[in-house]
Amino acid sequence: MNIGKIALAALAFFAMPAASSWAADAANGKKHFDNDGCWQCHGYGGQGALLTGPQISRTKLTFDQFLHQLRHPASAMAPYEEAIMPDATASDIYAYLEAMPEPPQAKDLPLLYVTKSK
Amino acid sequence: MSGKPNLDRRGFLKGAAVAGGAGVAGEARAQATAPAVPKAAPPSAAQLASENDHPGEAEKLTEEKSGSDFMVDVCKTLNIDYMAACPGSTFRGLQESFINYGANKQPEWLTCMHEEVSVGMAHGYAKVAGKPMAAMVHGTVGTQHAAMAIYNAWCDRVPIILFTASAGPIEDRRPGVEWMHTVQDGAATVRDFTKWDDYPWSLQGFAESTVRAYQLATSQPQAPVLITADGKLQEMELSKAANAKLSIPKLNHPTQAAADPNALREAAKMLVAAENPVIFADRYARSQKGMDDLVRLAEALQAPVVDQQNRMNMPTTHYLCQSARGGALLAQSDCVLSLEPQDIYGQLNKMTDQLERKTGLKIRQTTKVINIGTHDLMVRANYQDFQRYSPADLSITADPEASMPWLIEAVLKEIGDRKPAFDARGQKMLQTYKGFAARARADAALTWNSTPISGARLFAELWEAVKNEDWAFTTPNNYSGNWQHRLWPMEKHYQYIGSSGGSGVGYEPVAALGASLAHKDAGGRLPISIIGDGNFNMAPHVMWTAAHHRIPMLAIIQNNRAYHQEVMHIQRMANRHNRNVQSAVIGTTMTDPNVNYAKLAESYGAVGIGPITDPNDLGAALKKGVAAVKAGQPVLIDAVMQPRG
Repeated sequence: MNIGKIALAALAFFAMPAASSWAADAANGKKHFDNDGCWQCHGYGGQGALLTGPQISRTKLTFDQFLHQLRHPASAMAPYEEAIMPDATASDIYAYLEAMPEPPQAKDLPLLYVTKSK
Repeated sequence: MSGKPNLDRRGFLKGAAVAGGAGVAGEARAQATAPAVPKAAPPSAAQLASENDHPGEAEKLTEEKSGSDFMVDVCKTLNIDYMAACPGSTFRGLQESFINYGANKQPEWLTCMHEEVSVGMAHGYAKVAGKPMAAMVHGTVGTQHAAMAIYNAWCDRVPIILFTASAGPIEDRRPGVEWMHTVQDGAATVRDFTKWDDYPWSLQGFAESTVRAYQLATSQPQAPVLITADGKLQEMELSKAANAKLSIPKLNHPTQAAADPNALREAAKMLVAAENPVIFADRYARSQKGMDDLVRLAEALQAPVVDQQNRMNMPTTHYLCQSARGGALLAQSDCVLSLEPQDIYGQLNKMTDQLERKTGLKIRQTTKVINIGTHDLMVRANYQDFQRYSPADLSITADPEASMPWLIEAVLKEIGDRKPAFDARGQKMLQTYKGFAARARADAALTWNSTPISGARLFAELWEAVKNEDWAFTTPNNYSGNWQHRLWPMEKHYQYIGSSGGSGVGYEPVAALGASLAHKDAGGRLPISIIGDGNFNMAPHVMWTAAHHRIPMLAIIQNNRAYHQEVMHIQRMANRHNRNVQSAVIGTTMTDPNVNYAKLAESYGAVGIGPITDPNDLGAALKKGVAAVKAGQPVLIDAVMQPRG
């Protein structure tokens, strides 16, 4: 490998997209969220479920943390390697999760305030 | 059409009448209306033999009383309210005796459309009624059908009085089906997961074995028992003289096994000395008293309780009910008291479902473990429901509910100057508890408007519909997000009956049916079941049995159109193999076409509502359903929901 090629490789490395700097496509992210199994454990709204997976809607993770969790899950989550979920797709899903609408506030939902009556 | 046979309707009927006229009356009718030579084929040799094989004049054809009548007498002494069965000819003598000789009362015969329903409804019934009911299953094939439901009850330590039957000795078996439905050892199919069985060879033996079986089934640890009623014994004539020689033993009601007092004193010392004790309650409480005693123990120690929700153990309204943070409590604990654990290893250890299955302790190495339970009294070798072996610092083999008053007394004697420390601990628990409701509401709000409907929305709307009723859940909360335990005030033992025991799919609808019957008998509580669609499809005809026997029940189908647990398993395998993750729906989902559960329920004579897809339509559907249940009807509401939570 000559100097020119090394320099090109280095340039390419530093030019790698940073967190979500692909033109992230939330609509494509939704498609993959629904088709690639994310919803199965985290729910269609990313709300999470006690037994299967935490809330991921409006995720507080950085993209790097999100990608690391996909590739090397800290828990019992099934791993998503590059072969089945390219970085670009992961970025789109991340964008979709970030863009999920803010849920209503519990204080505005009177049905959630159950009171004993019998 | 040139080849069309000349089927004159009148002539055809005449011929058919002769050909089918095996009975005397039929033959007489045919001769009166068809004097001409019949056009139908002449009777076969077998038919002729059948027609000519009349019993002789002297042959006795009827009897006044049979062995099966005495078997009914035996069952009546046990105060069994119901006998559930899908009909089967091996017990025809018994069935006729129960409904005629026994006047179809105590037990009342319940018609089920599958043996799994007969047994499963007895499972749910016992957990609410606090006493067993009976189920009768056809010889051989009926036992095979019933096996999974029996296994669930075995794993759940629930008593059921099971009967099966056999055609008797070879010289009394008709050729064909009676042989195929006869087995040398009818209980062998299910012996690995019943507590006791017998094939009595005499009516006296039937009496003693049935009474013994009842006693064994209801002693801790409780479990199903099976009696085989021999076909010849059922149908043999019972003369007055023979009947007079028979006796039915009185049922013993033995006390349950309480713990060794010295062991309880040692347990009390360990619990009082601990800085961070935690109480895990698994299949602990069988009664309201059991719940009340657990509250007394927790208050004496000001120790948190983690209810594992396999029974209703701890009121959700009590500040020491800290189930929501069981993991954190375990990690901090220095002493764990485990009450009637089914899997103490699983309580204290974790294992990841990755390619390499790594294990780890949930507690510190130094944490003391006390276990009080009956697990070791009923362990078999083949089926592995006994779970992995786990050491304890103090293992007490006893019934924890029977032992609880003595444990409380021992703890109170040990407290001494520890009370201020306990009070401080209690204050911390109270502050933590106050945050649970706010957290649950915030989590519930996340998917308030989502479609499919979320579990949180369902339970919030459901509370609004039933809050003024005497309600009770008849199914577990495995897949609906645990919302009733997080949001609802649950304080009575009958309000929740826990899980299936063996995780055999199909438990939910059948247990809900039996539990609903027990709630009806208890004065008309409103029984609520949340049934997964995969579970429901194992026995949708429970709705017919409910309609036929006037059993009100509210069955809400948590319809995710899948065997969702399996969707996740297949997905996990695809991820592990770096293959198409989108194919996990093949073989695991129930779409194309979607099942219309409301119409299915209607076809069985129940009220069907739905499918409900818009969360904003749910409230009205639930109110309508509750009104119909209160009017005495079984109701199914099909709610299209999130797969989990």
